[in-house]
Amino acid sequence: MTNSVAGKWFKRLAAYSALRYGLAFASIAAALGLARVFLYFHLPQPFGALALSAIAITFWYGGVKPGIVATVLASLLRYYRWSEGGVVSGALYDLVFVIFALLMMELTRSRSELEVRVAQRTADLTRANEVLNLEIAQRKEAEEKLRQSEAYLAEAQRLSQTGSWARVSATGEMRYWSEECYRVLGFDPRDGQPRFETFLQRVHSDDRAKVREITAAAGRDKIDYETDYRIVHPGGEIRDIHVIAHPVFNPSGDLVEHVGTVMDVTDRKRAEEKLRQSEAYLAEAQKLTHTGSWVWDVAERRALHLSEEWYRIYGFDQKDGMSAWNKRLERIHPDDRARRQQEIDRATNEKSDYEVEYRVLLPNGAARHLHSVGHPVLDASGHLVQFVGSSTDITDRRQAEEALRQAQADLARISRITTMGELTASLAHEVNQPIAAAVTDANTCLRWLNRNEPDLQEAREAASRVVKDATRAAEIISRTRLLFKKANPQWEPVDMNEIIREMVALMGSEAARYSISVRMELAADLPQVMGDRVQLQQVLMNLMMNSIDAMKEVDGTRELVIHSQRGKNEELVVSVSDTGVGLPPQQADQIFDAFFTTKPHGTGMGLRISRSIVESHGGRLWADNNSSRGAGFHLTLPTNVEAHE
Amino acid sequence: MATQTKAKLVTIVDDDELMRNALQGMLKSVGLPSQAFASAEEFLKSGQQQQTACLIADIRMPGMSGLELQAMLNAEHCRIPTIFITAHGDTKMRMQALRAGAVEFLAKPFDDEVLLDSVRAALEN
Repeated sequence: MTNSVAGKWFKRLAAYSALRYGLAFASIAAALGLARVFLYFHLPQPFGALALSAIAITFWYGGVKPGIVATVLASLLRYYRWSEGGVVSGALYDLVFVIFALLMMELTRSRSELEVRVAQRTADLTRANEVLNLEIAQRKEAEEKLRQSEAYLAEAQRLSQTGSWARVSATGEMRYWSEECYRVLGFDPRDGQPRFETFLQRVHSDDRAKVREITAAAGRDKIDYETDYRIVHPGGEIRDIHVIAHPVFNPSGDLVEHVGTVMDVTDRKRAEEKLRQSEAYLAEAQKLTHTGSWVWDVAERRALHLSEEWYRIYGFDQKDGMSAWNKRLERIHPDDRARRQQEIDRATNEKSDYEVEYRVLLPNGAARHLHSVGHPVLDASGHLVQFVGSSTDITDRRQAEEALRQAQADLARISRITTMGELTASLAHEVNQPIAAAVTDANTCLRWLNRNEPDLQEAREAASRVVKDATRAAEIISRTRLLFKKANPQWEPVDMNEIIREMVALMGSEAARYSISVRMELAADLPQVMGDRVQLQQVLMNLMMNSIDAMKEVDGTRELVIHSQRGKNEELVVSVSDTGVGLPPQQADQIFDAFFTTKPHGTGMGLRISRSIVESHGGRLWADNNSSRGAGFHLTLPTNVEAHE
Repeated sequence: MATQTKAKLVTIVDDDELMRNALQGMLKSVGLPSQAFASAEEFLKSGQQQQTACLIADIRMPGMSGLELQAMLNAEHCRIPTIFITAHGDTKMRMQALRAGAVEFLAKPFDDEVLLDSVRAALEN
């Protein structure tokens, strides 16, 4: 490769040299030819002049060495062709050729030098030009950058509604006002920078003195300042402005100017105001509903947020801060602590919601019922981090519930007594029966004793019958008295079959009075229920009383059937069916309404009270018509109830 | 007379067991034999109507009442002297019973001497 390149270069060099030396031969040949043409036309012999021209051309275009070759050639030709001129003229020609050749040599050298110098100068100029171009490009780039930076800054100021400024402290003259200053403060940029006094006129009259004073003080004391004021835009719109300023000193420590920013904070202020208001509403709502809210950290067992109402509910002062959260445990009723903690531990383990009711004891001795609900907060990886929730003071509700319960119990009792009043005649008969028997048995006893020979055996039998009679009377009375007794509901395990039997015994004579036969179909394996015996007796009494009333006027069979059985889903079912008039048509749904009655002297409370009693036991009470005749009332009671409260 | 009392019994119909026992005990103490039934239906079924010289019946009983029993016996031309005892005696009921041929109508608790006199009178007739 290298050989071929060198070869090529060498070839080119050789061709160039051949051309230059060729020029020498060609130009001399041309001079010779021209001289022969001159000779042909008998013109003066101009070979010398033509040869000089050929030498000159060869020197100029061919270079020094070809020029010398041409000179030698010209001398030889002259010598060879025109030697007739004599030795002197020949020598003169040669001398002229040599001198001419020397002149041309010098000329050629000078030209070469000049060319080199021109080339050098041209190179210098090109370089200078390049540097200049580079500088121009850099300047342009810097300018572009600056322009862009200024555009960004202006954009940033516009977006943040923040203007920047510089004010000469000594004169109060504004040295710099950014574009955004005009917009924020409501001035027109075409009017130029406003004077400080003009600006002050725009400040809300209530804030003007403050701005003037704070600016003056900053100039005097050479200090930073930061304040809020309102500005009135030309349209009358009032905007909130926040200003921050910083003093700038010269190297000798003199105050030169204040630089600062003005920011339109209207939106932020309004948002803050809205938030404040929303918080106030929330606090008010919490106060009204006696609900305190909280957030607590599960890992550290400390509170992150406690609302004002929370402190009030627990009887703490807000000044106690978050430490009140840990102190609250001491205020929880000792009987409720374990249950409450258990519920929270469960929710913590299961990462689930919790809901718990407990009492707190306040330092002044008052007790409060609280209802707390908590909701778990999980982090991105699903770990339990916090619980958020609320605690509501339900003391009033609890007291109202208690009062309601009391009122219901009172009403139930009154209803019971009313029903008993209706039963008076039957009850009298019921008591009369054993008393009549007792009187007869006592007389019989006396008769045996009063004989001439008293029969003690018979007398003893008669006397023991008296005991039975009296015992029976006493039983009826005590059973009746129980229904009249005023007592708070007592929750205890109750055998419904036993209650049915007792009520059938109590109501038996009332049924007999209207020739009604009573039949019991009682399941042998009936589980017990939790409830209040007297209230459940009352339900049975009401239902049986209704059935008897429904059958008083009907002809044909009068039969009251009381049926008990185990139901589905851990409950038992008691049905009271009759062969009476049936439910009032089109009003079957209303019979459980308060004050609904079809009886001339009914209160309309019996079924209403019965249903509320059954429901308070967690059961249901409903009615339907029998397929053949009469109505059936059915009640369910749960059999898995551990405790009512 | 002796044969009469031997052949004829005093029959008691009352749904209350204590009362049945008391009446039977009373009659025994004066030497009168008796039989007792818990309902009118039981008595009618027993076929003891003809053996009964005197009937002591309660008026209000589940099922057939004392007055219905009397009416039924009358209808069968089985006129047994009947003494009613009741805890709910009112005038209307008393008149109805006496008109149907009852010999006595007593309210509980009753004077057993009055009852015994009536029983004796019934037996003697």
